[in-house]
Amino acid sequence: MKSKTNQVIIIYILISMFVAIVSHKLLLQYISNEKIPLYTFTRDILFILFTGIIFKLILSKNDNRNISTFEKIKNSNNEIKESNEKYDIVAKATSDTIWDWKIEDDNFSWNKGIENVFGYKQEEVGENSTWWFDKIHPEDSIKMSIKLYSFIEQKTEKWQDQYRFRCSDNSYKYVLDRGFLLKDENGKAIRMIGAIQDITKQKEEEQRLKLLETVITQSKDSIIITEADSIDAKIPNIIYVNPAFSIMSGYESVEIIGKSPDLFNSPNSDVSELEKLLKAIKNKEECLIETISYTKNKDEYWVRLSMIPIYNADNELSHWISIQRDITEEKKQEKEKEQLIRELTQNNKDLKQFSYITSHNLRAPLSNLTGLLNLIEDITIEDQELKEILSGFNKSTHQLNDTINDLVKVIIIKDNPSIKKEAVLIKEIFENVFSQLNFQIELYKPIIKLNFEKISVINTNKAYIESILLNLLTNSIKYKSENRKLKITITTEEIDDTVVLIFKDNGIGIDLVRNRDKVFGLYQRFHNYPDSKGLGLYLVKSQVETMGGTIGIESEVNKGTTFTLTFKNKQ
Amino acid sequence: MLDQILCIDDDPITLMLCKKVIVKSSFSNEIITSQNGEEALSYFNTIKHTNNQNKPIPQPQLIFLDLNMPVMGGWEFLDYFNSEEFSEFNSIKVVVLSSTIDPEDLEKSKQYPMVIDFLSKPISQSMLEYLKNKLK
Repeated sequence: MKSKTNQVIIIYILISMFVAIVSHKLLLQYISNEKIPLYTFTRDILFILFTGIIFKLILSKNDNRNISTFEKIKNSNNEIKESNEKYDIVAKATSDTIWDWKIEDDNFSWNKGIENVFGYKQEEVGENSTWWFDKIHPEDSIKMSIKLYSFIEQKTEKWQDQYRFRCSDNSYKYVLDRGFLLKDENGKAIRMIGAIQDITKQKEEEQRLKLLETVITQSKDSIIITEADSIDAKIPNIIYVNPAFSIMSGYESVEIIGKSPDLFNSPNSDVSELEKLLKAIKNKEECLIETISYTKNKDEYWVRLSMIPIYNADNELSHWISIQRDITEEKKQEKEKEQLIRELTQNNKDLKQFSYITSHNLRAPLSNLTGLLNLIEDITIEDQELKEILSGFNKSTHQLNDTINDLVKVIIIKDNPSIKKEAVLIKEIFENVFSQLNFQIELYKPIIKLNFEKISVINTNKAYIESILLNLLTNSIKYKSENRKLKITITTEEIDDTVVLIFKDNGIGIDLVRNRDKVFGLYQRFHNYPDSKGLGLYLVKSQVETMGGTIGIESEVNKGTTFTLTFKNKQ
Repeated sequence: MLDQILCIDDDPITLMLCKKVIVKSSFSNEIITSQNGEEALSYFNTIKHTNNQNKPIPQPQLIFLDLNMPVMGGWEFLDYFNSEEFSEFNSIKVVVLSSTIDPEDLEKSKQYPMVIDFLSKPISQSMLEYLKNKLK
């Protein structure tokens, strides 16, 4: 630039010089006066040089001004370029959706985000604010527009809002929208530019955390969080307590944070349990204890307390969580229950003793009566009336003796819940039972069918099973039908782990419709037979149950009765 | 036939019955009775002291013992009778004769070496026949 100025000046000077020299030469040829041409020539040269210098001055000043203007333009050009580049970079980097709203014309434009984030194609996007408002969740739109218009009317300083924005697939996204206003020279809002950030993930996480937090805040169990490290072998200091803890202990969270839970210990706390807890803390192990604690008002309560170590991602102990429950009521009930059990056990023992003593005291004079009657048997009595009286006396005494002996059997069975069992051959049991009933069997000659092919050995108490079968057989014979020959079928089979013994007769039966509840009851009689006491089936059931078995009955009047006995075959 | 037996029972009817049945069965020549354990022990003490004066008194060869008695029951009697103090009588056999039905009593009686049997009242001739065989 500068050189160009200099060139122009040099060319000007050279051309002027050339013209001046040529004019001088021409003048010398026509004018002979020697003095005048030299003078004119010198004046011309001087004029040329002078104008050259003037030119030079003007041009270089102009030059300087041009240069500074050029510099300015260049700088501002650079700035614009740079800011454009920055914008491009930011717009590419941000996931925000940018909108631009010319308020007066209601012209609304969106950047690429409206497609990338919300799925709207360019042609789907409306060009006014209604389109925007239309996409806001109905529950959020009123609150949102109130805030927005109060900002546009410049009643509020800042505007940012959270609302749900509908996507093209009709799902909603939580967004954070932030905007600023552009104003004209009168301060009127003419344009608003905003950036919408998709915060759905944060919002969902927030809601999830809020939901999880309710577990702690709404829990009826007390929850304490403490620091990781303990000071002076105490329980580590508390950093959080939930509301349930305040209710349980009476301490507000501000009173207790930063302190050690040691202060809940009461003089009645279980020392060994506390030691267990401190040891677990030392070893960074989980532990569960039950102890008595103090509330703020020094009231005692029973607490079941767990201490759980929490490790961070680096597998370092970060803190402890303690969950505590007030078990005062539970403890009280437990105590009452224990007391009740103790009392019941004692009562039961007393009653048992009582029944033994009573039966002993009944049996003692009864045995005397029996003994005395035995002596009378050997004495011949002439007096017929006395003989009759003594015979009645004898009968009644033996009846009383039988009843008491039966009751004694019941007492002994009931007192013996766990009895010795052994593997017994079923055939053998029946041989014993039949020999005891030899007289009746000979008398009535019943048809007895036995089928022990499937199961021949049964794990049971020999004396009991004999007594059971003796009772059942005696019943069958006693309550046989007069119209047909007595037939008894006894079979055994194995079902799963149990042995089932089926005892079936064709006797007179029991009306189960009326008597089902009473069949196995004590002193229940269903037929008016002189020697029936209503004890047999009660004894049978007691014995079956003492051995861990069950007994069932099916019966039809005048058809017969079937008993089903089920025993566990394994111990 | 035994020479002498001792029946310990608080019930006079039982004692009467015992005497009658024993006589009838010719089980023993002589029957002496005590109403409880203490009375029986003092009887044995008398024997002990009389013996010292060189006047031998016949000893019972068998004792019928009831369990439930006032002042001193059967178990307490057995405890004393089993001790050093009465060691000179340890050849005398004891039959518990009771109306108890408590199975524990039967078990308990087995702890005393002199108890040879545990029988249920009433005493009867067949019972005595059985004992005769057992004592042979």
